[in-house]
Amino acid sequence: MKNEPLLCLPGQRLCLSDKTHTSGQGTYERQGYIYSMLAGTVDIVEKDGVQIVEVHTKGEQTIVPVQGDIVTAQVYIITQQFCKCFIKCVGDTVLRRHFRGVLRREDVRATEKDRVEIYKSFRPGDIILARILPITEAHTYQLSTAENELGVVIAHSEHGHPLVPISWTEMQCTKTFVKEPRKVAKVVPENPKDMET
Amino acid sequence: MALCEAEKTFVLHGVEENFRIDGREREDYRPMELETSIVSHAFGSARLRLANTDVLVAVKIEVDIPFPEKPNEGKIEFFVDCSANATPDFEGRGGEDLAIELSNSLSTAYQSSRAFDLSKLCILKGRKCWKIYVDILLLECGGNLFDAVSLAVKAALWNAQLPLVKSVHVDGNNIEMDVSEELYDCQKLDIKNAPVMVTVCKIGDYCIVDPNQAEEKCSVGSIVVAVSGDRLSTVLQTGAGSLHPTTLVESMKLGHTVGQRLNQALWEALQQIPEDQDVGFLK
Amino acid sequence: MTIDHKRINGPEETIPYELFQKLNTKSLTTQFNECSKDGIRKDKRKTDEHRKIFITTGVVSQAKGSSYIELGNTKVIVSVFDPREIPNRTDYSLKGEIDCEFKFAPFSCPKRKLQQQDSEEKHYSAIMKQALESAVCRHEFPNFQVDIYALVLHNGGSALSAAIIAAGLALSHAGVPMYDLITSVTLGLQNGEKLVDLTLEEETLCLSPIADSKSHGIVVLSLLSTHEQVSQFFQTGNLTLEDVVECTHLLTKACKDIVPLIQKTLAKHVVKNVKESI
Repeated sequence: MKNEPLLCLPGQRLCLSDKTHTSGQGTYERQGYIYSMLAGTVDIVEKDGVQIVEVHTKGEQTIVPVQGDIVTAQVYIITQQFCKCFIKCVGDTVLRRHFRGVLRREDVRATEKDRVEIYKSFRPGDIILARILPITEAHTYQLSTAENELGVVIAHSEHGHPLVPISWTEMQCTKTFVKEPRKVAKVVPENPKDMET
Repeated sequence: MALCEAEKTFVLHGVEENFRIDGREREDYRPMELETSIVSHAFGSARLRLANTDVLVAVKIEVDIPFPEKPNEGKIEFFVDCSANATPDFEGRGGEDLAIELSNSLSTAYQSSRAFDLSKLCILKGRKCWKIYVDILLLECGGNLFDAVSLAVKAALWNAQLPLVKSVHVDGNNIEMDVSEELYDCQKLDIKNAPVMVTVCKIGDYCIVDPNQAEEKCSVGSIVVAVSGDRLSTVLQTGAGSLHPTTLVESMKLGHTVGQRLNQALWEALQQIPEDQDVGFLK
Repeated sequence: MTIDHKRINGPEETIPYELFQKLNTKSLTTQFNECSKDGIRKDKRKTDEHRKIFITTGVVSQAKGSSYIELGNTKVIVSVFDPREIPNRTDYSLKGEIDCEFKFAPFSCPKRKLQQQDSEEKHYSAIMKQALESAVCRHEFPNFQVDIYALVLHNGGSALSAAIIAAGLALSHAGVPMYDLITSVTLGLQNGEKLVDLTLEEETLCLSPIADSKSHGIVVLSLLSTHEQVSQFFQTGNLTLEDVVECTHLLTKACKDIVPLIQKTLAKHVVKNVKESI
């Protein structure tokens, strides 16, 4: 990797598109060439002998959640059938505008789906980690927490004190020691190597 | 109207072969039907049917005060109403964008005094003028609205009867107008140079005129050319696509020639309409 | 824009006092000759010369992307906001939408403008949308809408072109994926002369015919320069076909002339960001 970053602007022709170069994030292909669609710096990622040309902008990116993304969301309404959330972050990017998401009862956990009760899994105000499901309905993202690593990460008890996880179904208040049911996420560090150092 | 890829390819190949899906050549129009004087309460009216597109235009005339910056000129305004009869999409405010686009294009096309001379509508400089309201009602949408609307507007203006003002008296701030009492004592508007619009659609490598709905869906870009006499009064791009400058020039040339032919055809059709016909829909 | 009923609006109709001055007695022909004589215009420009352009990015801190342009006296500020869900829509659209709002500030024109958009402003918004739609990679944000607001602080002519240039820059400043940089130029025809980058005075003079048979009118063209695509074309007036064709060529050239300036401004912004991140 060169030290000097390579600048590019929208519509700038970057290189020929052939067997060894393909267009990646932030670029598009037209008539055999790869063009940039952002103002930023050029990155070349090598994968299986193919060079993927990517363009990244520094600073904030324009991002919308897509299927398969892990998002951080806040619950604001719960009903018997589903709970509604605001999506606040996609991956580690904080969104400026919040998107609406819906987590249905059958997507809360992977096993014993019909015995799930929403109010025993989430409460309004909880911060959850969830995965985006394929979009079937316009305007709302379908979410799922049916994985061990997904579920409630930050929550407060009825009295407003922080809760700490004690099992994958329960959390305990730090002040009053009241136990509350939740679908708790097993938080794992994204990059285990960082933890070692 | 939704088209699958195979249907789009079919339309595209037809255009390439100069044999479109309804059997026309690239520069052919669909047959049109034109009626005038069909709304009795209006000063002039016309209904135009172009295949599945149906447009009704009525002209109302009122007395108004001229704009202070243009004391010698009358006024003309265009209103487009996208009736929900045409498609359910127009319900509520659904057709608003289309209506604005159509009325804006009409008012820019009629802007130049060469296309339509507003100074003839002035009654008394800075005090009184005629204001023409052109109300356009879309009854059915079958593609190519710009062309149909502009033709119908021109026909309705041709049909319009401007009351004849015999004399004007100024008495301090009061202005008295003496309008001829004879019912048939009317002026006609001069619309010889009123613009006629032609939509030119680019499909594949060729340009076509008078696209139907299926063809509109296949087009990569289209322009609307308003032809007034042998001049161009407005050119504007519609839809989301972009065009190469050479294509743009080519399509303007096509629009220009077709527009002149269309204008001629309309003029001939208008001359055939008898002077003293009955008013109403069922003649 | 929704109408703000609580706001106290100014009078509905106002008439600028200049109309009643005794200066408007000159015929249009003499007025035009004063504006342009032997290929030299009032402000000592040649007919095909641009006014000086100043353009910068990042002027509105709360917007995702923003830019400010000065085209001679014309001053326009444009801001772009994050994609949001398209309101009042039930079906899924594969391509994102862009929503433009072009607005003259109340004090920007000789005549006072109202808070609500008038038909001219709505028309300009539509033209802007048309110009930008083919520049933005709309498939990158399906089912979302990007809002672009252009506010003209001072209308010194060619305001629409200025707004389109600034909007293109603001969009790439916001990191919205774009196929190309967009530039736009306004050209006026009168009495056989073709004037590039009109001032407000020239704009008014080009709108009505002065000589018997010659063309008159205004042409606005926006260009995506790398792919040489005209993304928007708008003409009004009364022109012969030859004139329009010639204008198209002149404008394409004029649009390309501005591109290096836009590139430089954007590159400056990228360099600044890169330095900050190191």
